[in-house]
Amino acid sequence: MKKIINKPENVVTEMLQGMAKAYPKLCYTPEVEVISRKEMGDQVGIVSGGGSGHEPAHAGYVGEGMLSAAVAGNVFASPSPDRVLKGIQLADTGKGVLLVIKNYSGDVMNFSMAQELAEMEGISVRSVVVKDDVAVPDSTFSTGRRGIAGTVFVHKCAGAKAAAGGSLDEVADVAQKVIDNVRSMGMAMSPCVLPGVGKPGFTLEENEVEIGMGIHGEPGVSKTEMKTSQEIAQLLVSKIMEDYDYTDSEVALMINGLGGTPLMELYILENDVCNYLEQLGVRVYRSYVGNYMTSIEMAGCSVSLLKLDGELKQLLDAPCDTPALRQ
Amino acid sequence: MSISFGSKEYMDYCQRAAELIAQEKDYITELDAVTGDGDHWANLNMGFQKVVEAKDELSKLPLNEMFKKIGMLMMSGIGGSSGVLYGSGYISAAKEVGTQDNIDVALLSRILMAMLEGICKRGNSGPGMKTMIDTLYAAANELKEAVEEGAEDRDALVRMERAAYRGMESTKEMEAIRGRAYYQAEKGVGHLDPGAVTMYYQLKVLSECMLEQC
Repeated sequence: MKKIINKPENVVTEMLQGMAKAYPKLCYTPEVEVISRKEMGDQVGIVSGGGSGHEPAHAGYVGEGMLSAAVAGNVFASPSPDRVLKGIQLADTGKGVLLVIKNYSGDVMNFSMAQELAEMEGISVRSVVVKDDVAVPDSTFSTGRRGIAGTVFVHKCAGAKAAAGGSLDEVADVAQKVIDNVRSMGMAMSPCVLPGVGKPGFTLEENEVEIGMGIHGEPGVSKTEMKTSQEIAQLLVSKIMEDYDYTDSEVALMINGLGGTPLMELYILENDVCNYLEQLGVRVYRSYVGNYMTSIEMAGCSVSLLKLDGELKQLLDAPCDTPALRQ
Repeated sequence: MSISFGSKEYMDYCQRAAELIAQEKDYITELDAVTGDGDHWANLNMGFQKVVEAKDELSKLPLNEMFKKIGMLMMSGIGGSSGVLYGSGYISAAKEVGTQDNIDVALLSRILMAMLEGICKRGNSGPGMKTMIDTLYAAANELKEAVEEGAEDRDALVRMERAAYRGMESTKEMEAIRGRAYYQAEKGVGHLDPGAVTMYYQLKVLSECMLEQC
């Protein structure tokens, strides 16, 4: 294992300290591992978080027009409720806080406990649970469908609504609308290595890929031989369309890299996905290509589609200023 | 003469429960090595040690605040899923206690029920899944029944402890539905669930501590 680290047990702390140094508009709170905006703005707070190892998610989405605070757990492990509570307290300006939770049993338990604690302190909190992964109905890590890269669209649209002065209920409703209309599907080509563990959690043969693998290396739907980008585009998009028919609609498209796949390949996939969507009568309004929600150095990708209406288009196009997304 | 059991007595109980848990390290770790990932004792022990370290401060708090603090310490001290489940149990208890300052058998019954509901709700679980819930479920329901029947305090507390024991024993033949044991071929059948055993230790010591106050 070759990694640029000091001690495996310090990776989360040192990474967040580095982020705070790189982005002066952000503030790092030690012990609880929270990255938050220095200037919260007079708006509804939005807090997300989860296990580390998915960078830039979620601390990379803290800033104007997206999250107010992000709470980091250890690598692939949910943050505890006391940490999430601190994130909520930092994000609250008196207008309430929305929690964006990815659907893993640990995250749901810890975040909902934190919500209860915050409510006991008199903070208004609402929460939404993202479950965009169409790969498997149930996974090793979750009760039900997992939350993956589609979460970034939730951050973007809810963040824009909050920045525009939306109330807590309005912001939560937008987040839920995104969740209802976003679907994702991924595949992996090589495993990831957890710092401190030192060896991969699973293996794939040289010419093998796993379709539908989760962002923690949980088993996918099937293993198959390596395919061309065109074939991968068709496979992932078809699987999404089996679950949600985007025909004749306008969509936002995300081609997300899992950490170990070069941008060159992601753009090739973007080209093939766009061509295939055109054949299917799906109009791409806006594309995002890059490493938005990763799995340490796993090679692979996910494709996400979000059906847009007038409101979501406007929110998606609104400006934002965060380490990982600026527009 | 009713029982006098306030924050100080409850914290004394926590210390004795912590001591019993600490003593049973090898047994619990051995059970967990068979069905789980082997860290249950270390995590739970850490949580209880954190609570014991704060004993002086917590003994002076009103009951509901003490329960809330214990819940917070357990969440961060135990960590992981067990931490948030214990935390949920104690926070639910804190809400149930309200402004009362003495735990009699009737209030204990309501506290255990609140803890049970808090844990089940948070874990999306129930009895019969080979977890700590099986112990608590049996104890809480037996105590509720005893209180409703108008049983003597001593009798009710003994019945609660015996029911907790039976609940723990019942996990031996269960198939795991939650937790790591679920992923094993035999789903842990033939082995006690370590979480059910440590939950029994706590209820056993609690019953003993309250019996001494009767």
